[in-house]
Amino acid sequence: MTKGDKILVLFIVLLSFLSFAYINRYAFSEQEKFISVQVNGEEIKKILFDQQLVGHTIPVETEFGYNLIEIGDGQVRVIEADCPDKIDVKQGYISRIGETIVCLPNKLVVEIKGESGEDDIDIMNY
Amino acid sequence: MRKTNKMIFISLLVSVGLALSVIESAIPLPIAMPGARLGLSNMVVLVTLVVFGFKDGIKVGMLKSTVLMLITGSVSSFIYSISGAILSCVLMHIAYRYFSRIFSLIGVSIVGAAAHNFAQVSVAVMMLSNTRIYSYLPFLLLVSLFSGYFVGLSSTYIVENLKKNFRVLFSRQETI
Repeated sequence: MTKGDKILVLFIVLLSFLSFAYINRYAFSEQEKFISVQVNGEEIKKILFDQQLVGHTIPVETEFGYNLIEIGDGQVRVIEADCPDKIDVKQGYISRIGETIVCLPNKLVVEIKGESGEDDIDIMNY
Repeated sequence: MRKTNKMIFISLLVSVGLALSVIESAIPLPIAMPGARLGLSNMVVLVTLVVFGFKDGIKVGMLKSTVLMLITGSVSSFIYSISGAILSCVLMHIAYRYFSRIFSLIGVSIVGAAAHNFAQVSVAVMMLSNTRIYSYLPFLLLVSLFSGYFVGLSSTYIVENLKKNFRVLFSRQETI
């Protein structure tokens, strides 16, 4: 190990830690996903996650029925519904891009979407 | 050293590299990370670079990944490995040829390992057209430090040994 080697090692360690910190802070922020509320196939609401909206509830009252949606910290759930089996309420929180809560009797779909659609990687194989 | 001797020596190096790659895939790693490898066969490329120079080094690297594709049969990993081989060979040559006063073989090998990982991740970004895969690079770079260090250390011993026992290799300028 010469002095240059040690400097190179230090440089790479620093580089990887700095870029890791940068990625953690900026690239994967929660701003990139949003809640999409759809009734009968049409998107009626689009909500970006925000710290101020934690605990906020949104009533969805349509001709098909009534649901109450609660927004959490990067997650969302349905807390009230007038449908008979309440499957949507029992499902609890969803938080990852692509997850959905469906209430069939009320024709309601609550989905979490990413800004750029299908960019989320399912699996990597080498 | 005649042309035939050199050809035989290079093909021996390629086959050693292939054997190392096959053995390496049987060694389990303590950490579960896709793409993180020991990079033992990088040793062969480094030794070739030092002994024969850039042209033959890149030849060995490319032959090694091509024949390894025929052995393992996975074309997608061939694309990753050949791009990594080319970039790491070029950068290792630059580091060895022009900065050998600053870096020992260990440093050269770390440069090669880091370049290999960078090329692999870049190819993955291009193939999946998703720039977010670059966020995986810091982890790979950290792992490449360890593998690069040990590959460099063992290459130092190999080159020392070759200099002692195969003097004919190092007197090539006069005959070719």
